[in-house]
Amino acid sequence: MPYKSMIGSMKHLKTGALETVQTGSSSSEFEALFREHWPQVYRTLYRLVGDPAEAEDLALEAFLRLYQQPPPREKEFNPGGWLYRVATNLGLQSIRSWRRREHYELTAGKYALEETPEDHPAEIMAQEEERRLVRLALARMNERQAQLLIMRHSGLPYKEIARSLGLAPTSIGPLLLRAEREFEKHYRALAQEELP
Amino acid sequence: MRKHLTDGELRAALDGELEALQLQHLDACIACQGRAQLLQKESQKAASRLAFLASADEPVPAAQRAWDRFSQQVVMKKEISMFKKWFAFPVIRFGTAGLLILALVLAFPGTRALAGELLNLFRVQQVQVVPVDFTGLEQLTGDGALGNQFTALISDSVDMQQEPGEPVQAASADEASQLAGFTVRIPSGMTPSQINVTGGAAFSMTLDRTKAQALLDEAGRSDLVLPASVDGAEISVDIPASVSVAFGTCPKPGSGESGNHEQSITERRYPNCVILAQIPSPSVNAPADLDIEALARIGLEFTGMSPEEATEFTSTVNWTSTLLVPIPRNAAIHEQVSVDGVTGTLIQRPSEEGPQFALLWVKDGILYAISGLGTNSQQAIEMANSLP
Repeated sequence: MPYKSMIGSMKHLKTGALETVQTGSSSSEFEALFREHWPQVYRTLYRLVGDPAEAEDLALEAFLRLYQQPPPREKEFNPGGWLYRVATNLGLQSIRSWRRREHYELTAGKYALEETPEDHPAEIMAQEEERRLVRLALARMNERQAQLLIMRHSGLPYKEIARSLGLAPTSIGPLLLRAEREFEKHYRALAQEELP
Repeated sequence: MRKHLTDGELRAALDGELEALQLQHLDACIACQGRAQLLQKESQKAASRLAFLASADEPVPAAQRAWDRFSQQVVMKKEISMFKKWFAFPVIRFGTAGLLILALVLAFPGTRALAGELLNLFRVQQVQVVPVDFTGLEQLTGDGALGNQFTALISDSVDMQQEPGEPVQAASADEASQLAGFTVRIPSGMTPSQINVTGGAAFSMTLDRTKAQALLDEAGRSDLVLPASVDGAEISVDIPASVSVAFGTCPKPGSGESGNHEQSITERRYPNCVILAQIPSPSVNAPADLDIEALARIGLEFTGMSPEEATEFTSTVNWTSTLLVPIPRNAAIHEQVSVDGVTGTLIQRPSEEGPQFALLWVKDGILYAISGLGTNSQQAIEMANSLP
C-alpha cells in the first residue's frame, strides 16, 4: 500500500508551529513539512488528473493554501491529512472543469505513450480510456464520497480517512459502500454515453 | 446472539477494519458470510477500476525545484495581495486606479528654483515603472495600530473637494468627447461594447510632519527622516474626467461587481474584456519649497529600495513630467515598446485568474492605458497603433 504512510507517518505538528510559519518566523519548519509531503501530494494528484504539469501546479496550490490558512483551532493539527483532503479536492475540481476535461482527453494518452513508447500503444490507450472514465465518474460524484473512494483506494486505513474527513471511523464502512455503489452508477452511465 | 452485521460493517470487514466483537459474529454466522461474499464481488469491481490510484512508480519532480517554485509563488501572492489592498484605499482609488497616489507620493517635481508660493508643477508626458516591494506596506494596510494610524493620517490630511461620481454611459465616441471635454479616440475597425465617462475629481492634502514621522518611526523606519519643508505643506490635485472604452464582454462600471472598471476585468467571467482608458494629465500644485526629491527617496526606501538605489532612481526621473507607476517587484515584468508614435510601457503579471497585461503611454497630454487578461499583449499594441 503505497499511501499507507501518507498520513500515518506524518508528524502531527503542534498548532504553534504552524502559527509561527504563518507569521514568517519559521519558514524552515514549513520547508521541512513541504519536503516531507511533496512526493505523496504530487503522486496523488498525478494519478488523479493524469497530467504531470497540472499535478505539479495543483500540488503547489495545496501547499500554498496550507501556508495561508488561518491557524487551526484543534490542539493538534494534522497537516498531512489536511493536505491530502485539499489536494484531492483540487484534483476533483480540476477534472470537473470542462477545459481541463478536454485537456485530459488530449494529454493523458500522450503522456502514457511517452512514458512507455515500446509497449503496446493500443493497450496503453485502452487503459488510459478506462482511467479517463474513472476520473470523470469520480468528478461527477458528491465531493466527500469521491474523496473517500480516492483515499481508500490509495491505501489509507479507515482511521486516517476518518481523521482527514472529520468522520467517525465506524462510519467509514457504510459510507464507503455507498460511495462505491454511486461510483459504479456514474461509471456505467458514462460508458453508456460514450458508446458509438 | 448478536444481531446480524449491517452492510456497512460487512464492507469494513472486507478491509480488515471490523472490531473484534463483530468479527466473532461474522466467523460464526453463515448468513452474514454469504452477504459478505456478495458485497465483496461488488466492491472488487470498483477496486479494479480504481486500482491505478495506488500505483507507485511514477517519477516525482525534485522537491528542491518544487520548493523554489513554491517560495516564488508565496512572494508573488503576498505582493499582489498587498498591491490590491494598497489600491483599495478610497483616497487612492479616487486617483483613477491608483495613478493619483503616485503623483502624490512619488511624482512631484523637484523644481524649487521657481518663484511663487503655489506652483503648478506637474504635467504628465511620460510614464515610468518603479518596481516596489508591496509586502513592505503590509503593516500600513492591516487592522493593527499602524494601519489605524495610517488611515487616520490620510483621512485627517485629505480634503476632498470634488468626487468623481458614478460613471455615465456614452452612446458614441463623440458623446463621450463632449462629456469628458477632450477628443476620445477609438481604435480603427473596432466597435466598443461600452463607453463610460467618469467625472473629474479634486482634493487637497495638508501634510503633518510630526504625525507622518511618528508613523515611520512606528513602522521601524526612523532612519527615514522627513524634510522640514513637509510640515504644513498643502498639495492640491486636479484630476480631469476620464473615459473608459470597453471591448468584448466587460462588467458595467458602478454595477457593484467591483470598485472600479479596471479591477473587474480580472474576474474569470470576463476573459475577453479589454479596456482602453484615456485621461488628460492630472495637475498637481505644491509649495515651491517642498523637497520633493527627498520625499520620493523616502517613499522608495520605505518600499524596498536601498538608499543608493533610491538616490540613483530619483536622479534619473524628470519629476516635472513623469508619472511613476508602481508594480509588484517580484510579481510583474515590464518593457518599453513603441506605440502610437511614442514610447510606452508594457506591464505583465500573473494572477489567480491568469496572466494580465497593461500597456501605458502618453500622447499629446493624454494618458492612455489598455488592460486585459491573457498573454496576448500584442493585441494591446495593435489596438494602440490603430488609434486615429
